[in-house]
Amino acid sequence: MFSFHDKNHLSRRSLMKGLLTTASGLAVANWGALTHSQTIAAEAKRSGKRCIMLYMEGGVSQIDTFDMKPGRPTAGPFLPIQTKVNGIQVCEYLPKIATHADKLAIIRSMKTQSVDHGIGGYHMHTCYPSSQRFPHPEIGAMVAKYCENPDSDLPSFVKIGSGSGLYGAGYLGPQFEPFVVADDGKLPGFANPSVVPDIQDRRGELLNFMEQRFAEQRPGEPFAAHRTSELRTLRLMKARKTFDVSAEWEKAKSRYGDSSFGRACFTAFKLVEAGVSFVETSHQGYDGHNDNFPVHKANLQVLDPAWASLLQDLQDRGLLKDTLVVWTSEFGRTPAINFQAGRDHFGRAWTIVLAGGGIKGGQHYGASNRDGFEVQDNPVNEGDLFATMYKTLGINHRAKHFLGSRPIWATPDGAKPIQELLG
Amino acid sequence: MADPFADAKVIFTLPWNSEVISAVAFIGNDKVAAANKRGDILIWNLPPAGGKTPDPVRRLVGHTGEINRLLVTPDGKTLISASNDRTVKYWDALSDAGTPGTIVLNDGTPLKGVVEKVDKLPALPPPVEAKVIVQKPIKELAGHKEWIQALAVSWNGKRLVSGDDQGAIIVWDLPAGKELLRWPCKNWVRSLAIAPEGKTVAASQHVPGRDKIVVPPSFHLWNLETGEMKVDLTKEVTGGMSAIAYSPDGKWLATGRGNIEVERPDSRVTLLDPSTGKKIRELTPGHSRGVTDIAFHPDGKHIFSAGRDQLVKVWQLADGKLVRDLGKFAERGYWITSIAISPDGRCLAAADDSTRQVVIYALTGR
Repeated sequence: MFSFHDKNHLSRRSLMKGLLTTASGLAVANWGALTHSQTIAAEAKRSGKRCIMLYMEGGVSQIDTFDMKPGRPTAGPFLPIQTKVNGIQVCEYLPKIATHADKLAIIRSMKTQSVDHGIGGYHMHTCYPSSQRFPHPEIGAMVAKYCENPDSDLPSFVKIGSGSGLYGAGYLGPQFEPFVVADDGKLPGFANPSVVPDIQDRRGELLNFMEQRFAEQRPGEPFAAHRTSELRTLRLMKARKTFDVSAEWEKAKSRYGDSSFGRACFTAFKLVEAGVSFVETSHQGYDGHNDNFPVHKANLQVLDPAWASLLQDLQDRGLLKDTLVVWTSEFGRTPAINFQAGRDHFGRAWTIVLAGGGIKGGQHYGASNRDGFEVQDNPVNEGDLFATMYKTLGINHRAKHFLGSRPIWATPDGAKPIQELLG
Repeated sequence: MADPFADAKVIFTLPWNSEVISAVAFIGNDKVAAANKRGDILIWNLPPAGGKTPDPVRRLVGHTGEINRLLVTPDGKTLISASNDRTVKYWDALSDAGTPGTIVLNDGTPLKGVVEKVDKLPALPPPVEAKVIVQKPIKELAGHKEWIQALAVSWNGKRLVSGDDQGAIIVWDLPAGKELLRWPCKNWVRSLAIAPEGKTVAASQHVPGRDKIVVPPSFHLWNLETGEMKVDLTKEVTGGMSAIAYSPDGKWLATGRGNIEVERPDSRVTLLDPSTGKKIRELTPGHSRGVTDIAFHPDGKHIFSAGRDQLVKVWQLADGKLVRDLGKFAERGYWITSIAISPDGRCLAAADDSTRQVVIYALTGR
C-alpha cells in the first residue's frame, strides 16, 4: 500500500512501485481464487454500479444527526427539523440534507461490536472484527474487484486522504489496494509527465518492446504484473487531469462549501463520473469526548452542503441510481452526556445512512429506544449492513474466496441483506 | 505586595443540579444570578457570611436553549442574558413581582467520567424543591439567527453588543433595545468586550474544530460606532478566546484562551495594551486544558480567571504574579464554567460544573 501524502519520500520511481501494488491489472500468483467469482464479477461490471463512502472519522453522534431525542435528557442542544418526507426529521444543522430525505435510507438500529477507533475502523470497513487476525479486504477493494472497469485508465479504488484508515485489499490481492491521493484529491506534481505526450508514448513503446524481449526469456506472472503496472502508470498519466478539479471547483465550491471535505466530495463525484468504482473520503473531528456540541455543529455545517451537493450532482447526471452513497463511521456516540459536555464511544444503537445505488430512500429502518441506549426494532449488525451494500452493488455477499486453501466469504455467516432497503 | 485575598473562603454553596450552570452574575452586592444549559435563570439573595445557605427566590423563565452569558447593566437594574435560542432577553434585576412557583433543584442526571457503559439514565433522587417567584423577560432582542455566545455592555450603559455563531456582531441601543448597527465576521463570535471609552469593541472569533481548523481563530478591535475594523490582533494573540475583558480603568485588555478543550496545559490569560493591542504579558502557569472566564477585580490591581481544572486563579496585574488558587485542582473533566465578582469586590461567585452548584467566596472581609 502506498500513499501520496508523504511528499518527502515520493518519487517517480515510487509512483511506479506503488502502482505495481495498487493499480496493476493482473492477479498475482497465489492471491485469491479469482475464477470462483468470475461470473459474479461479470454481472457486477454489467450493472455499472459504483460506491462513494463518506466516513465520519472519530465516531459520529446519531442523536445529534438522524436519531434525535427532543425533550429527553439525552437530547443535547440541537433541535430537529422536518424534512421533505413526512415522519423523517434531522438535525437543524442538516437543512440541505433534509431536502434529499426522499433519497435516504436511515438505519437507526446499528448494533456493532468494535467501539474503539482502530478496531471500529477495521470492522466498519471489512465487516469482520480485527481480532480474527485475518487479512480481510475493505469494502473498497471488494467493490474494485467486482465492479471495476478493466478498460479504464483510472484506479478502481480511490481514497481521498487517509483519515478513515487504510485497511487494504487483504486476501483479494495487491491489485485492489487503495489508490490514496491527498485531501484535495490532486495527484502530486511528479505524476505529470516530464515530456510531451508523443515522446511519452514513444518511451512507453520502447519500454514495452525491451521488456517484452526480457520477458520472453523470463516468463512468470510477477513480471507480467510489473509490466502491466508500468503500462497502467502511463495510462494514469494520461488520465491524471481527472484528479485535478481545480477549474471546476471554483464554480462548485459555493454549493459544496469551501472546505477540504467539500472539495473531496466534489472530487469523488468527478471520479465516479469518470468511471472509478469506489471512492472514499473522510470528514474528521467527530470524536466528541469533550465540547461535543459546538464542534459537532461546526462539522455539520461543513458536511451538509458537501453531502447534499454530491447527491444533487449525482442525480442531475443520472448517476445516483447506480451509485451507492454511504454515510458511516466507526461507531456512534453515547446518548449520555458526560461532564465535559461530550459524548463517548457507542455501538449499541447508532445510525448509518445509505442513498442511491438502488437503495429505497425516504425511510427509516429500525429504531432505538426512548433515550437511545438500546435498539428497539430491527437490529442491524456489520454483516447485515455489508450484505445490503453488496447486494445493491450487484456483489454476492456470500461470494467465497480463498487464502491459500482456506475459504472465506465476503460477509460473515448469517449476514443477510435488509430487503426493506433494496429497491 | 501583601495578598489581599489571603483569607478568601467559601461562605455558601448554592446547589442546582439540573443542568450545567453556564453563567453567573452579581446583582448589586447581595444577589447572585445563575443560568444553566436548560435555559433557566435563578436568583438568590445572599445573607451575611455565617448565615443559612439560601434557597433561590426567583426563577426567570423564557429562554428555550442554553444560556451562554449573563450580565448586569452598570446601574444594576437590568439583567441581560444571551442564549442558544437566538435571543437576548432583558430581566428586571430588582423586582420581586411575579407568579409564585416551585423549582426542583436536583432533577439533573450528571454522569461523571466516561459514559460508554451507561445503559440508562440514573434514577432521580427525591426532589429538593424551593419556592420561587416566577418572572418573565421585560424585553427580547431577536436580531440573531444563530447561537449567541458573546455579549457585552458599555460602561455608560447605553450600548450593548452581541455576537453569534453566524459571525454577526450587533450593536444595540441598550435602553431602547433597538438595533443600531451590525457587521459580519468570518468566524463565529465567541467573546466580546467594550472598552471603557465606549468607542471600541474587542471581539474574539473562532470556529471550533477538533483536528483541522479550517479558519484560524481571529481577534480584532472594531469601531463600535461604524463597524470598521481598527486593529487586527490575530497574530498578537493566537488561539480561540473564551473571554475578553477591559479593566474598569481602561489600562488593560485581557483575553482568556481556551474556547474548547486543548490537550496541553498552556491555556493562559494574556494582558494587552488596549490602545495598541500589543501583548504586555502572559500569566503563567496557565489553566490546564482551557480558560473559561475572566473578571477584573474592582481594586484595579487583580484579575481572576476560571478554568477547566476546577480552579479560580487570582493574578496580580502589575507583575503578572499568581497570587493564589481558589478551589481544588482537577486534571480533567471538572470545570469552573463562569465567574463574577461583586461590585464592592468582596465576593466571588463561581459556577462549579463538577458539583453542580454556585460557590460563593468571601474574598475580603464580608
